[in-house]
Amino acid sequence: MAIIQGFLYVLHPLHFAFLFLGVAGGIIVGAIPGLTASVGIILLLPLVYQLDASTAMVMLCGMFCGAIYGGSISAILLSIPGTPSAAATVLDGYPLSQKGEAGKAIGVATIASATGGIISTFCLMFIAPQLARFALKFGPEEYFALMIFGLTIIASVAGKSLVKGLIAGFFGLLIATVGLDPVTGYARFSFNIPNLMAGFPLLPVLIGLFAISQIFIQLEAVGKKVSHYKQKIERVLPSFQELKNLFPTIIASSFLGTFIGIIPGTGGTIASFLAYGEAKRWSKNPDSFGKGNILGVAAPEAANNGTTGGAMVPLLALGIPGDVVTAVMLGALLLIGIKPGPFLFREHPEIVNSIFAGMLLANVLILLLGILSVRLFPLILRTPDAILFPVIFTLCFLGAFSLNNSVYDMSVALIFGVIGYIMRKNGFPMAPIVLGVILGPIAEDELGRALIIAHGDWTVLFQSPIAIFFYAISLLSLLYSLKRQFSVHLKTK
Amino acid sequence: MGKKEIILSIFFMIISMTIYVLTYQFPQQTVALSPKVFPQFVSVCLFILSLVLLIQGVTGVKKESEQKKVKLALNNIFLLKMLTMIILAFFYIRVLPLTGYKIATPLFLAGSMLLFNEKRWFMIVIVSIVATALLYILFRIVFKIPLPRFNFFNYIFTKGV
Repeated sequence: MAIIQGFLYVLHPLHFAFLFLGVAGGIIVGAIPGLTASVGIILLLPLVYQLDASTAMVMLCGMFCGAIYGGSISAILLSIPGTPSAAATVLDGYPLSQKGEAGKAIGVATIASATGGIISTFCLMFIAPQLARFALKFGPEEYFALMIFGLTIIASVAGKSLVKGLIAGFFGLLIATVGLDPVTGYARFSFNIPNLMAGFPLLPVLIGLFAISQIFIQLEAVGKKVSHYKQKIERVLPSFQELKNLFPTIIASSFLGTFIGIIPGTGGTIASFLAYGEAKRWSKNPDSFGKGNILGVAAPEAANNGTTGGAMVPLLALGIPGDVVTAVMLGALLLIGIKPGPFLFREHPEIVNSIFAGMLLANVLILLLGILSVRLFPLILRTPDAILFPVIFTLCFLGAFSLNNSVYDMSVALIFGVIGYIMRKNGFPMAPIVLGVILGPIAEDELGRALIIAHGDWTVLFQSPIAIFFYAISLLSLLYSLKRQFSVHLKTK
Repeated sequence: MGKKEIILSIFFMIISMTIYVLTYQFPQQTVALSPKVFPQFVSVCLFILSLVLLIQGVTGVKKESEQKKVKLALNNIFLLKMLTMIILAFFYIRVLPLTGYKIATPLFLAGSMLLFNEKRWFMIVIVSIVATALLYILFRIVFKIPLPRFNFFNYIFTKGV
């Protein structure tokens, strides 16, 4: 069994130490409001860049799973979701905390998150190889269609304004056109500046857009009153009877989260609200939801960690991200030198198996760390902004520098930090830019290849049934986003 | 929607037009996919979307003018802080390759902490030194990533990098 090799690799003391650091770091990053899983992965990337690919991926997966779980901690203790996917946890988590049951709420969130993560990883292990095997049949025209589908995720993650989301996405695509053209090698928009010939370096762009822009946003919040959790945390583990009552909801929400995660353009926030809604609908006492029902913590937490494995399915098997965090993961994979997609399963099965084993063990670590260190969480949340954000600011620049030992990269990070801040303050989401920057060059490359094979005949793009299928679901995805935007517009009127 | 949308939409329209015009400088290619096709397509789409945003902004600006303008003084203080932060970061980027990590980083950290309203000087000194040491251990010792060092020749022969 190849997966056993994956386990043996991850259980090597050094690799396990990196996984542990990834999970613990992820929990801290997720718990601190203002820092998301994407920021955590971006900040970790320069550090793991020089490790071997499997170890780097194991650590990044640990950070991913840990951060999604960590978001629940501040949601329960402070009523501030640490990550967007923990927004639904606030609804019942915070009322429980006010009743003095914060320990139990965190305990249940930990158990639910770990269960959701483990179930979704098993689904990932089962579904991804089958999907990859099917995707081996894809040629460049099918891949181009797949990337078009990937790009329509921009509309799904557009946020409140579809127009602004799309502008952000096309702006990302435009950023990606700077530098060498993937087909002919012509240096576009480089103005004979050597640094621009290689295009904007991906990691500094990500550091700027996600992390540095966040520092500026935090700078704006300086002086505002910050809430702290002052009560003592007691009784973390629920009773056996309580667990027995919770488990049907946790299992169902885990599968729901996994399923939602597999669908590109969804993500943890949608999954957790859906799971919350379902738990409320099936509950014998729906009125108690919102007032501190423990099921209202278990369901969203199982679902949002359920999306971790689910979102990795399209990423690993097809090379398209399921949500924002996996878009950043895709960037991370490319920077480490791994091209996700069906060939990854054939050419580097050892990396795939260590990712599977790493994600399973990361969720076991979440369970252990979550239960054992629950009393430390209020301390993490008490870290003053005046210490935390200057250190992260420094980390951003050192991270940007370290990849190529380049001062130019640090400047790029700063410039994109300012651009990101201005765009975020004016309602432009960051996720579409990232999708554009990452998927744009891949789409153009595949289009070029398809056209070269077909001797410039553009109709080749519409001859394959698989490609037509992807165009059709791209269109459906766009229409759905438009419909959703229209209904939101009608509601606000 | 309002004035900001109008300014930003005009900004994106200028960018998209500039990109489109610049693609005409690209040499003629006989390959299947010319390097100008993708940027032209993207810039046309960006222009159309910016136009939609401009229309939304123009229709929304009337509503906005009825709303009161608040927190102007607070915004000015923040803008000053942010500009100082950007200048501080700019100097850090310029100075780091000359003085090396160990000198530039504590100073940058101290400056950033001051901007984040940390007023206790002992805290600023301790955190600047400890965080510099911890980041050094993390990068240099744990992950074996080289950090810039003080370079006398760099200092003498270059006027910055």
